[in-house]
Amino acid sequence: MRLPALLVFPQLLLVFSPIVLAFAIPDAPRDPAACAALRHYGKLTESRQCYSKLLASSDAFLRAQADAGLEQFEEANEEFRTAARARPASAAVKTEWGKLYLAHQQAGDAGTLFEEAIQADQNYAPAYLGLARVAASRYDKRAADLANQALKIDPKMFEAHELLAHVALEDNDPVLATKEAQAALGISPEALDALGVLASIDWLNGKEPSPWMDRILQVNSAYGEAYATGAHFFEINRRYEQAISYYRKALALNENLWEARSQLGVNLMRLGLNTEAKQQLERCYTAHYRNAETVNSLRFLDTVGDYETFKTANAQLELHKKEAALLRPYMQPELEQAIATYQRKYKMTLPGPVKLQVFPNHDDFIVRTLGLPGQGGLLGVTFGLGVVMDSPSGRAPGDFNWASTMWHELSHVYVLTATHNLVPRWYTEGLAVHEEGAHSPDWGDRMTPEIVAALRKKQLLPVLDLDRGFVRPQYPSQVLVSYFEAGKICDYIAERWGDSAHLGMIRSYANRKTTAEAIRDNLHEAPETFDKDFAAWLDKRTGETVRHFDDWKKGMKEAYADLQSGKKEDAVKQATAVHGYYPDYVGNESYYELTANAMLAMGDSTGAMNVLESYREAGGTSVELLKKLARLETGAGLQKQAGTTLQKIIYVYPEDMDVHRMFSSLLLNSGDANGAVREAQAALALKPTDVAQAHYDLAKAMLAANRPKEARDEVLASLEAAPNFKQAQKLLLQLSPSE
Amino acid sequence: MRLVIALMLAGMTAQGASYFVTVAGLGGMPEYDKQFADWAAGFDRQFKESGPGAHVITLSGNSATKQRIGEVFSQLAHEVQPGDSFALLLIGHGSFDGVDYKINIPGPDATAGELAAWLNQIPAQRQLVVNMTSCSGASLPALARKDRIVIVATKSGNEKNATVFPRYWLDALHDPAADADKDGNVSALEAFAYTQRKVAAYFESEKLLATEHPMMSDTGNFNAVRDPKPENGQGLLAGSFILMRPEMAENEVTAPAKQKLVAKKDDLEAKIDRLKYQKAAMNPEEYKQQLAALLLELAKIQAEIDE
Repeated sequence: MRLPALLVFPQLLLVFSPIVLAFAIPDAPRDPAACAALRHYGKLTESRQCYSKLLASSDAFLRAQADAGLEQFEEANEEFRTAARARPASAAVKTEWGKLYLAHQQAGDAGTLFEEAIQADQNYAPAYLGLARVAASRYDKRAADLANQALKIDPKMFEAHELLAHVALEDNDPVLATKEAQAALGISPEALDALGVLASIDWLNGKEPSPWMDRILQVNSAYGEAYATGAHFFEINRRYEQAISYYRKALALNENLWEARSQLGVNLMRLGLNTEAKQQLERCYTAHYRNAETVNSLRFLDTVGDYETFKTANAQLELHKKEAALLRPYMQPELEQAIATYQRKYKMTLPGPVKLQVFPNHDDFIVRTLGLPGQGGLLGVTFGLGVVMDSPSGRAPGDFNWASTMWHELSHVYVLTATHNLVPRWYTEGLAVHEEGAHSPDWGDRMTPEIVAALRKKQLLPVLDLDRGFVRPQYPSQVLVSYFEAGKICDYIAERWGDSAHLGMIRSYANRKTTAEAIRDNLHEAPETFDKDFAAWLDKRTGETVRHFDDWKKGMKEAYADLQSGKKEDAVKQATAVHGYYPDYVGNESYYELTANAMLAMGDSTGAMNVLESYREAGGTSVELLKKLARLETGAGLQKQAGTTLQKIIYVYPEDMDVHRMFSSLLLNSGDANGAVREAQAALALKPTDVAQAHYDLAKAMLAANRPKEARDEVLASLEAAPNFKQAQKLLLQLSPSE
Repeated sequence: MRLVIALMLAGMTAQGASYFVTVAGLGGMPEYDKQFADWAAGFDRQFKESGPGAHVITLSGNSATKQRIGEVFSQLAHEVQPGDSFALLLIGHGSFDGVDYKINIPGPDATAGELAAWLNQIPAQRQLVVNMTSCSGASLPALARKDRIVIVATKSGNEKNATVFPRYWLDALHDPAADADKDGNVSALEAFAYTQRKVAAYFESEKLLATEHPMMSDTGNFNAVRDPKPENGQGLLAGSFILMRPEMAENEVTAPAKQKLVAKKDDLEAKIDRLKYQKAAMNPEEYKQQLAALLLELAKIQAEIDE
């Protein structure tokens, strides 16, 4: 969360010298509040002069606040240190010091100082507000509690109401946001950030110009922070083009809003407008505004040349040069297929080609999406017609299904475009999860133990509140649970009302209808009834697992104990007895893994194969188990099934050379020469140790695909690596009959 | 390089036995004890299957004491002939205190200096040491010597994590993919290249920072390399040190009726080697044409030999 009040502290203003400005200072103020007031009214030069004058104070605390007001962070930090030594028990010193750190985007240090302030004075409201801002900057649910705590101590603290309004709007609750903003205005009619939230509500609803902005400008004609606030709300609602437009408005009023400029650069980068993104970010950097987001984004933009672009009529695929040869043959057709499918299903043509960029380095992906590395959970993100996602090489084998992620994100592209980005988060995520499962039943979100736990505790949210589960989770796994719930809701809608109901919902959102209205208009029932019926529907599908979860856990524990003591048959019996309680579980130490391995150890390869086929169909993604299955199926002559299994592995781990070699051979034997060529080329793209064999395999596939010239080139490449490779020599003779 | 390898191979087949000594140290934990013993047993099996001339000695777990190792080397010092090839493989935990590398074995540990002293007693002119332990990079300065190939699992004594190197070195002995030049033999150089790639791929696929970087030196130089090649002068000796040698290759070379064809084949191989060395300076199309002609000729000769 970006707090508008903090936007006025851009680090780059360090370039101005307070000494130069000091000659024009009017009467010396004794209170930093007077300087802040000048800024509040848009008198930025006078405000700086005021703070500069304060620097002459004999009080370190005043000098610290003056330096902070001049964005001289290092000097301010030193002065605060001196002030804190002089007044170690002062909650005010700790709190102002904390605000400095928060302005410098060091929320952790800021939080420590606010906590120390509270230790010094349990009733110091500004410290609670500071902590609330720290929490809000992390989308932490405690933000509202802390702001309310501040208000309990000081009911006149309008800034706390402003923060609550901001948080409420982030939670997609404009009613509460309005109420809190009005409460702030009731205390201070010039509460600019409250007005900014009210203006943002107008802008989000397409009301431009907003009278609230007029009111802001009457107070402070340079208050670009209000537009930056609006831009922030557009951004978190994935309306990036509008976010860019509003950041530009903010900078037009005050070109020194460096956080807004940095965010403008980051959002331009999100939409792939890299040239201007780089210009804006470099301007920040040159002006010494060098927060992590700016620096990381600039570093990322320097790597753009490492990507290759492949264009078709409907799509533009960008792959890192080091893996383009491997991934393109799989990703390009999958992308085209997804576009064609959605075009039919959503009955719409996109206004331009989809741009998919795939990052082998997860931190690059995160910088490209959020501007900061370290967001481990994200796999793909959609920005308008652009999709960015992790490459499978950026994840551990089996952890990540690139194809289902692609289908998921492509669904967002259609739904966001169709609704002009007005769709709520829960619905677009739910529909995307639904589309994964609609394309391939083993895709989509599995019911993990965390989800079972949430179901047991009845933690699913009513449909009207579901957005909250994504934006401000109340418990650690709530985002995961919310994806599951939203996906199941969309499954339920499709099953009961058909796909046309989804088209109706999309139209409703495009027409700025709320979820309640969209449900009433298209499903013809009240949201409360919908929740009740959905709960009953879901219970039929999950109730057995929820009710018998403990029995399942106990049974599996016993089964593994049997296995460890060598009682394989007992282990299989025990695991099979409880498997029906929770067939969705495909994680580590599953029924499938235990049973298949035990059966193999007992010599029952057919039984193991059957179990592993169920595992594959249930969405299991362990590369080791799936490879085992592919070998069993190949051994049993079940080429089609083996092909299905190998394809599943390629969706979760295309870097496995054995898989491509196995698949190439299988396809060659079954007469699919083009498929065999694709797989042999993939094996070669992985830079095998056995180069000669890889070229030879490709030569054979090329020959079968009636491409003798390329086959000869490949066999020569094989023999170049290994001149005495007899099989290749024979093939060369076969390919050179007249020589 | 191909020419030299071919000639040395031809020489080797007519002479010398192969000696393989494997030492597996203490695991410290049951899973490592088992893992090290399993690897040692795997090497034992593979080397015994490598041919009738193979002499295989494996010291694992409690039998891998310093005294016992010393006894084995003393015995081999009398038995091994200069024309034989000798390989020492070390599995386990190594340590490095900034001065000495040690392999952790029951009782007193053995230092790199002691290992070198034992190896120096062995008269075999061509020796291979594969130190697969953690910290093994620190053993290289003491072990490196002319006519001795030294392969280590880690680039220095600071890579202290238990290694995965032995797993892939063992694979190299039976995976046909390790025989990169498809001549039917797996040389120390091929095994090193195979293992190095597999180790790198392991860390890459597991998304782990690599904690071991295999290195080798076969020139007596302390400065080991990761990528032996003619440009850095490394790999020549390792390319001629055959670890696994199927019988077919020997038959091919020794069959008297085919000697003329074999000579022609050797000549063609030499020409191919020379051409490959000139590749960078040649027009690509011209290179391709000349290479194709030579390879086709070689294939025809081979077909005649095989008739």
